[in-house]
Amino acid sequence: MVEKNLAPAAADAAPEITLERVNVAPAQTWNRLRTNDITLTVPARGRAGDVYFSLPRLFEGVECGMGPAVTDWVESQAKDARYVEVPRGTRREEPIVVALGADEVAGTGVLVREGAEVTIVVAAGGEKDGEAGTSASLLRVIAEAGARVHLYEYVGADAGQQHLESVGITCGRDARVDVHQYLLGGGTVALGLACDLAGDRSRVDLGCRYHAGGTEVLDINEVVRQRGRSTRSELAYNGVLEDAAKKSLRTTIDLVHGAKGAQGNEAETVLVLGDDVVNKTLPTILCDEDDVAGNHGATIGSVSPEQLAFLASRGLSRADAEALFARAVYEDALMHAPCDEARATVQRGQALLHGASTLEDLAW
Amino acid sequence: MSEERKRTQVADVDRSLYDFTKPEEGYERYDDGLTPEIVRAISEKKDEPEWMLEMRLAALETYHAREMAPNWGPSISGLDLDHISTYVSPKTKQAKSWDDVPEDIKDTFERLGIPEAERESLAGVGAQYDSEIVYHNMREDVAKQGVIYTTIEDALHDPQWEPVVHQYFGTLIPPTDHKFAALHYAVWSGGSFVYVPAGVTLPYPLQSYFRLNAAGAGQFEHTLIIVEPGADLHFIEGCSAPKYYEANLHAGAVELFVKDGARLRYSTIENWSKNMYNLNTKRATIGADAKMEWVSGSFGSHVSYLYPTTVMAGDRSSCEFTGITFAGATQDLDTGCKVIMNGADTTASVSTKSISKDGGVNTFRSSVVIGRRADRARCSVSCQSLMLDDISRSDTIPAMDVRNATAQVGHEATIGRISDDTVLYLMSRGCSEEEARTLVVNGFANPVSKELPMEYAVEMNNLIKLEMEGAIG
Repeated sequence: MVEKNLAPAAADAAPEITLERVNVAPAQTWNRLRTNDITLTVPARGRAGDVYFSLPRLFEGVECGMGPAVTDWVESQAKDARYVEVPRGTRREEPIVVALGADEVAGTGVLVREGAEVTIVVAAGGEKDGEAGTSASLLRVIAEAGARVHLYEYVGADAGQQHLESVGITCGRDARVDVHQYLLGGGTVALGLACDLAGDRSRVDLGCRYHAGGTEVLDINEVVRQRGRSTRSELAYNGVLEDAAKKSLRTTIDLVHGAKGAQGNEAETVLVLGDDVVNKTLPTILCDEDDVAGNHGATIGSVSPEQLAFLASRGLSRADAEALFARAVYEDALMHAPCDEARATVQRGQALLHGASTLEDLAW
Repeated sequence: MSEERKRTQVADVDRSLYDFTKPEEGYERYDDGLTPEIVRAISEKKDEPEWMLEMRLAALETYHAREMAPNWGPSISGLDLDHISTYVSPKTKQAKSWDDVPEDIKDTFERLGIPEAERESLAGVGAQYDSEIVYHNMREDVAKQGVIYTTIEDALHDPQWEPVVHQYFGTLIPPTDHKFAALHYAVWSGGSFVYVPAGVTLPYPLQSYFRLNAAGAGQFEHTLIIVEPGADLHFIEGCSAPKYYEANLHAGAVELFVKDGARLRYSTIENWSKNMYNLNTKRATIGADAKMEWVSGSFGSHVSYLYPTTVMAGDRSSCEFTGITFAGATQDLDTGCKVIMNGADTTASVSTKSISKDGGVNTFRSSVVIGRRADRARCSVSCQSLMLDDISRSDTIPAMDVRNATAQVGHEATIGRISDDTVLYLMSRGCSEEEARTLVVNGFANPVSKELPMEYAVEMNNLIKLEMEGAIG
C-alpha cells in the first residue's frame, strides 16, 4: 500500500492512497502484457486513533481474492465488521444481505457451522449523480464440514463509481459453495474471489455473467485452491463487452499436491461488440498432483455471421441482435435475484445503461 | 566402426550418444565473467566492423543495468556469470570438408549423425563447437540459386552482405528486450546467416547443429534468416551438450524475417544436458500472405526460458506452432510461445504437449495478442499436459489480449495422467507396464514427432524412450 496523499487536498476531499498489486494471480505472466494485476486509487477516510470492531481471529487465515492490500484497506475503512454465525445443522431462511451504496465500505465474516446452510447476498449499486466515489465489500466465509453456502454478488454502479469486492471462502469436508456473480456496470469494478477447497469432497460451482460498456474497467481475479481429495471446481464465465470497455479476467485452478481425485474445470465465453474493447484473459491451471484432471477453455469473438443471418431472417437487425445478448445478462440476473436489494441493483444497472424505460420491462 | 553400426546405436538409445566429452587441450578459453575487456577481445578476434563493437559494449551496459523480473518463472539463482566463460574456441579454422575438421570434433558430430544426415537429406550444414563454427557447407545446386548460408562472421566480412547484416541484426530482438538478450548481444559468437532470394524454394532443409563441449561455458550463437518474397525454406536446428556438474549457459538469439508470400519452417530439437540454463530467444516477423511454422521439441536443460515469438505483421499471414516439452528429474522447463497478430485475416494455431515425470516441472506459457488492425483474425490454442507421477508438476499460464471485435479466439487446455484402464488394457495385450506407458507417451507425442524431419523424429522418440527407462517401480 503506497500512501499517496495523506493530507486532505481540500477541506471536504478525502485523502487517497494507491493500492498496488491488487488482484494478483498466483502465477504471473509477462509484465509487459499488463495483465498480472491492477493498481487502484482509493480514499483513505480513516483517522489515526480510530478503532473498528474486527472479526474473530480465525478469519485472518482466510485468503481473499483481491489480496492483502485490499483486506488491510477495507479493515481500516469499514466501521465495525459484521460477524454472522449460522448454527450447526440449521438452515437460515433469510439471506445475509450486504447492501452497499456509493462510498460505503463493509467487512463481513460468516461462519457456517457443520451441516448448516445459508444464502449470502452482496449488492453494490452505488449512485452519486455521476460523481466519483468508491464502495467496497470484504466478505470472508468459513464453511465447515457439510455446510452449504449460496453466494450472490450483484454489482451495478454508475459510471463514476469504483467498486472493490474481495471474497475469501474456505470449505471443510463435503462443504459445497455455489457462487452467482452478476457484474452489471460501474466505472471501475474490481472483484476477487479465493476459494480454498481444503476438505475432502468439497466443491465450488461458480457462474459469472457480466456486461461492461462505455469506458468501464472490469478486473476479475478468481483462485480456487483444491487441497482436499476428490474436490471439484466448476467455473463458468459468460460476458458481453461493448464500446471501449476493458476487461481482465484471471482465473486459477490450483491442484495442490495431495488432492488426489480432484477435478477442476473452467470455461469462458466472451462476446466482443465494441471496436475499442480490450479483452484480456489469463486462465491458469497449476498442477502438483498426477491423479487429477484440469481443463479450461475459452471462446472469444463476436456474433457470428450465421447467427446474425438467422436473427435477421426473424426481423432483428444487427444492433437488435447484439442488444439481445446484453439484455440476456440482465434478465438472467433478475431471474436469479434472491432479494429486493439484488433486484434493485439489476434494475438500476439496466436503467443506467439503456435508460429508465427498460425498468418496467424488467420489473418481474 | 561402420556407419550402419552407428545408426543402430542411435536406435538403441546409447546414453553415451550425448553424454561424452572431449578434452579442451589447446583450446582458447577466455576468463570467466563478463567485462568490457572480454567483449572487446571477442570483437577483436572476429575483426568486426566498428558498429558491431559499439553494439556489444552498449549491450553489456544494458545487461549490467537490467534487473530480472522478480515474478518470473523458474529460479536461475544457480547461474553465476562470474563462473561462466563466454568464449571457448577449438584451435581450428572453419572447414568445408569433414576431412579438414579435427578428429575429436569430427568424431563428436559423427556420433551425433550430422555428416550422415547431410549426405542423405540436407541442402547444407553448419556445425558449431563451443563458440565457433567448425564446419559449414552447402550443396552447389542450392548455392547456384543465390542462396546464402554462412556464418554471421563471414557475412560481416563480405562487402555484399555486411550492409544486410547491419540492416537486420538486432532489430527484431533488440538488446534492450530483456537481460539475457543484452548478454547475448554483448558476447555473441557463431551461428548462421541465411538469405533465400525471392521465389527460390529449397528442395532440402538447411541444418545447423550446436554442440557445447566445454564445462562452465556459455554458447551465444546468433541465427539471422531472411526469406525473401515468395521463397520457401525449411531450417533445422539441433543442440546438445554433455553433462557436467557445473552450470552451462545457452543464450542464443534467432531472428527470422519472412517476407510477403514466403514460407519458413523452423524445426528444433533442444537436447541440452541437465546442467544447462537454456535462456534462448527466438522471434519471427512475417509479411503479407507469408507462413511461419515452428516445430519445437525441448528435452534437455536444467532450466529453460523458451518462447518463440511470431509477429504477424502482414495481412493474410499464418502461423503454426507445434511443440513438445519433456521435463524429467532436476528439470524446470518454462516454455511456450507468443503470437502477435497485427494483420487482417491472419490465422494462428498453437498446439503444445508437455510431459512431466520424476519431479520434473513443466510450465506452458503463451500469449496471444490480437491488435486493433487485425480484422477477422483467427487463433486457436491447444495445450495438453501429461503427468506421469505425483512428484512432478505441470502448470499452464496462457494469456490472451484481444482488441478487435471481429477476431475469433479459441483456447483449450487439459492436464491429466495416463488412465489406469489404458495401461491395464495394453498389459492385457502383452505389454509390460513400462512398455505400455512408453507406448502411450509416444502416442501423445506423435502429433509433434510427425511434423519433424525423420532423423529428428527418431531422435525424439529415442529421447522419450530414454526418459521413460526406469519410469516404473
